[in-house]
Amino acid sequence: MNENKKRKLEKYQRRQRKLRRKAQIRMSETIAIIFIFFVLILFGVVFYYKYSQISNREKQEELLANRAMDAALQSLFLPELICTKGEAEHEDNCFDIMKLNQAEDVFSKNLNYYFNLFSYAKITVTEVYPGNLTWTVYDKQKVRKVENGTERIWENKENTYYVVALRNDSKIEGQRKYNFGYLEIEVYS
Amino acid sequence: MKTKSAQIQVTFNWIYIMIAGAMILLFFIGIIVKEKAASEERLSAEVVEIMESIFTGASLSEKTKNFIDTSGLVDYTLYFDCDAGVSEFGLQGYSYYASDSVNPLFAPLELSTSRLVLWSLPYRLPFKVIDFLFVTSANTKYFLVGNDPNFINEFNDATDTDNPLLKLNWEQLFDLNDIDPGGNFQVRIVDLDGTTVDVGKPLPEKLLTMGDKKVTAISFGKLGANTVDFYQKSGQVWKKLNPNPIRILSIDQERDAAKYGAIFAGSLEGYQCNMMKAFKKLDKLVAVYGGEKMSENIGGKLEDIVEFYESNPETSLTTECLNYLTTYDENVYTSLRSMQNQIKTCLVFQGEQGKCFDLITHADTLRKTNQILSETGDCISLY
Repeated sequence: MNENKKRKLEKYQRRQRKLRRKAQIRMSETIAIIFIFFVLILFGVVFYYKYSQISNREKQEELLANRAMDAALQSLFLPELICTKGEAEHEDNCFDIMKLNQAEDVFSKNLNYYFNLFSYAKITVTEVYPGNLTWTVYDKQKVRKVENGTERIWENKENTYYVVALRNDSKIEGQRKYNFGYLEIEVYS
Repeated sequence: MKTKSAQIQVTFNWIYIMIAGAMILLFFIGIIVKEKAASEERLSAEVVEIMESIFTGASLSEKTKNFIDTSGLVDYTLYFDCDAGVSEFGLQGYSYYASDSVNPLFAPLELSTSRLVLWSLPYRLPFKVIDFLFVTSANTKYFLVGNDPNFINEFNDATDTDNPLLKLNWEQLFDLNDIDPGGNFQVRIVDLDGTTVDVGKPLPEKLLTMGDKKVTAISFGKLGANTVDFYQKSGQVWKKLNPNPIRILSIDQERDAAKYGAIFAGSLEGYQCNMMKAFKKLDKLVAVYGGEKMSENIGGKLEDIVEFYESNPETSLTTECLNYLTTYDENVYTSLRSMQNQIKTCLVFQGEQGKCFDLITHADTLRKTNQILSETGDCISLY
């Protein structure tokens, strides 16, 4: 009788062990599935984060390029710089040197006004022929105050160039009136 | 006993599954709704950014017309506003908008259309100050009434084009009662001689069904008065929006940008706000031409010209050129200096009527003197 009971107990214990092992395997399976699930979610999050980072950077570059184009267009048609001919239409791609001489001063004194037009940018006109003068018409860069002064903090820069004629009215008859140069626009973000 | 417990367990399992499923579903629905709203906001921002770029290009192309196909935005309303010297435009109901405190943009307050028409004209006082951009739509109709054949011819010439997409939607009326607004979104009546639109005058019957904000009018007053009054429909009569006539500050005889600005401006505030932008720009230009403080000394381009003549006395006509620049009763320096004083006052008083009016006189004198300079041999003209 005791033998019988003992056998039954052993059988029961074997079954219990089997069941426990089965449950352990199932538990491990569940944990593995959950682990893989979270790994996949993590992959998704990392992928989405990287994707949005790249797409944001691309968007910023696109915006910067657009801003550069807008600033270049605005500069080429600025009444403060262009060559006028009385009541007639202005000369295309031409800057008046006498106006350029004054513009540097006027722009720097009205930086806030022109900031609404150009934002963070630098506009320079450089004479290539016959002289090599440079006029910095507008210069406003992103800066941060540090101990010894200021530090530039822009990350991206986009340069645009345009060839322009430079008209010099202060020439006596027979002298060349038009010089040659280029307009450089740097925009920052 | 065991079977009963299993049955309860199964039922509870299903309830849990249902709750968890519903929560997961709600979570994803929430994400979709948020993403939809965010993508619409992004879209509106992109639309506004693209339009801003087009407006910049269009305003710089002097005397040109452009159109923007907005058929994809026909269900949206574009709004334009200008306050405290800053204009804004965007899609109604969305938070993103573009603002500009430099370039004047004259447009109706609201547009809901499949095609925008853009037109740019230079504003001169007497030199080119800035380009005015007029924005209107294919379904905004302008009715020109009154007896001013010269202006009607000019308006016709100015707006005439072979491209039907660039055509402005306008009509000349001999009697306001003949008006037919058709299916247009809004109408603007332009009273050319100040005889048709007045306070309390009844509106034509066909305009009574339209909303008050959709029917506006301007009256240029008596011929030659060079003033403008703004009106809006108020029930069955006209309501005047400005207590005193607004002076049109310009000296152009033809294609007067300031006059056209009044035609295309959606409101009195919009008109004055955009004109202030032009005056701010004029202030900077006067400084380029004559220096920052002309009351103290000559500066700017004028100083360079004077210095050139003084250092080149052998140049033919030097004396005569210098006289027109600085000496004669009507000379460039005096006119430019008076303009500078006037513009400073005008800006301080925010374009208040009467404070800017003398600008026209000084600008006209400057124009005449500059013309003499350019016609006098090889004198260097100011502009």
